[in-house]
Amino acid sequence: MAGAEKFVEADNAEAIITRIEHKSRKIESLLKQNKPVEALKTALEGSPPMTRDERCKSANWIVVHRALMAIKDVDGMFSSLDPEYYDILMKYLYRGLSTGDRPTCDQCLRIHEKLTERAGLGCILRSLADTVNTV
Amino acid sequence: MAAVAVHQFAQCITCHAWSPDRSMVAFCPNNNEVHIYKLLEDKWEKVHVLQKHDQIVSGIDWSRRSNRIVTVSHDRNSYVWNQEGPEWVPTLVILRLNRAALCVQWSPKENKFAVGSGAKTVCICYYEQENNWWVSKLIRKKHDSSVTSVAWHPNNILLATTSTDGKCRVFSTFIKGVDTRESKSGSSSDSKFGEQIVQLDLSYSWAFGVKWSPSGNTLSYVGHNSMVYFVDDVGPSPLAQNVAFRNLPLRDVLFVSEKMVIGVGFDCNPMVFAADESGIWSFVRFLGEKKASSSSSKYGSQFSEAFGKLYGQSKHGLSNDTVEPSRAQGVVHENCINCIVPLTKEGFRTKRFSTSGLDGKVVIWDLENQDLSDHF
Repeated sequence: MAGAEKFVEADNAEAIITRIEHKSRKIESLLKQNKPVEALKTALEGSPPMTRDERCKSANWIVVHRALMAIKDVDGMFSSLDPEYYDILMKYLYRGLSTGDRPTCDQCLRIHEKLTERAGLGCILRSLADTVNTV
Repeated sequence: MAAVAVHQFAQCITCHAWSPDRSMVAFCPNNNEVHIYKLLEDKWEKVHVLQKHDQIVSGIDWSRRSNRIVTVSHDRNSYVWNQEGPEWVPTLVILRLNRAALCVQWSPKENKFAVGSGAKTVCICYYEQENNWWVSKLIRKKHDSSVTSVAWHPNNILLATTSTDGKCRVFSTFIKGVDTRESKSGSSSDSKFGEQIVQLDLSYSWAFGVKWSPSGNTLSYVGHNSMVYFVDDVGPSPLAQNVAFRNLPLRDVLFVSEKMVIGVGFDCNPMVFAADESGIWSFVRFLGEKKASSSSSKYGSQFSEAFGKLYGQSKHGLSNDTVEPSRAQGVVHENCINCIVPLTKEGFRTKRFSTSGLDGKVVIWDLENQDLSDHF
């Protein structure tokens, strides 16, 4: 559907991976400076990668996961996270829940509760109904 | 309160339509029949039952000037009903479909009607005088999935459709001998039958409920991802806006003026959307809400309401009486609203409209004294 033609072919996967690696380094330095929300914003930037390549999606998830797990103060995070990130964040929360990993699920559920409070059920619908831009 | 009358007609209503003088309402009570009720001495009485379809009636439209009812059904057929004396006489329209018909609408001039179907096609039907027969012409191979809604442009030529492939499309339905070419109306009427004018690629999930604004300048439709879309300059370079909202998705929309749209759907409460001076659309408020408790987030109550529904709280009597329009939370419908029909029009503005849904109610809403006049 919309944007489907924007998908790049697998040849570009290497370029996307390089970009994600660069993003990962930036996030590590932001986390060292104790800026977890900035790190999460950076992680969500340019997500999901415009590709069907599962390798890229996994690489991006690892980066987002790293930033997600570093969030300690969920309320504080939402006070500085703009609503434009809500839909994409919700998608990654569901990806996190699908891993079945205990600490990841705990963290995702904590954020999910607060996010639903802010963004409503519509946000959940938007992340589940979109079968094209999967994360 | 915006809801001025609530009628519990059945356990579930798939669609409804009003007679030209608004004294009668036709609806399908989720079976193969169409019931017509009339207001007699302050009580709604069943006056006709139209029985001809074999399966659920999915669409009804009652033409304003010619007083004809068109019905479509999952049985893949359509009937045009003419009133002859006290009887409604059906004429079969063979749609040539191999899947269910899903929606129907008369064109503004009432010389054609459009049927959307599960067969990925749209039928444009028109009357052939010489054969005394309704002919169905198909628009094929344009939709990738079921056609969920159809809407006629005021010019009687352009037809907008939404589909479960997520797209909204606009077609020319010019039929030789039925339509006349008007030199002044420009490029839109020069197209051949079935030609696609534009395909709007905005939604990633099912699209439902499309409508044109009264002037035909703006198009609105909804996606199943809790989004509503507004499109200006429908043509080669359309201008589109997406409005995401925090509630459950909509099923249908209605323009009550050029700048205001009512959306109905799974949240059981009509939503008001309006455009400001610069033409930016946004959500204003729920219609069935008291003004005091405006847009404060009420996440908890939303959930408990949903749970209440799950556990069968909504056992409401089948009394067929006008229920007092003063329900505590102002939530009049107890289930998904899937149909919205205009009632009284003043020029380009709709002051009253009715909604029906899976809870079997037909609710009449009035926009007077709603503090919405700045948007009209």
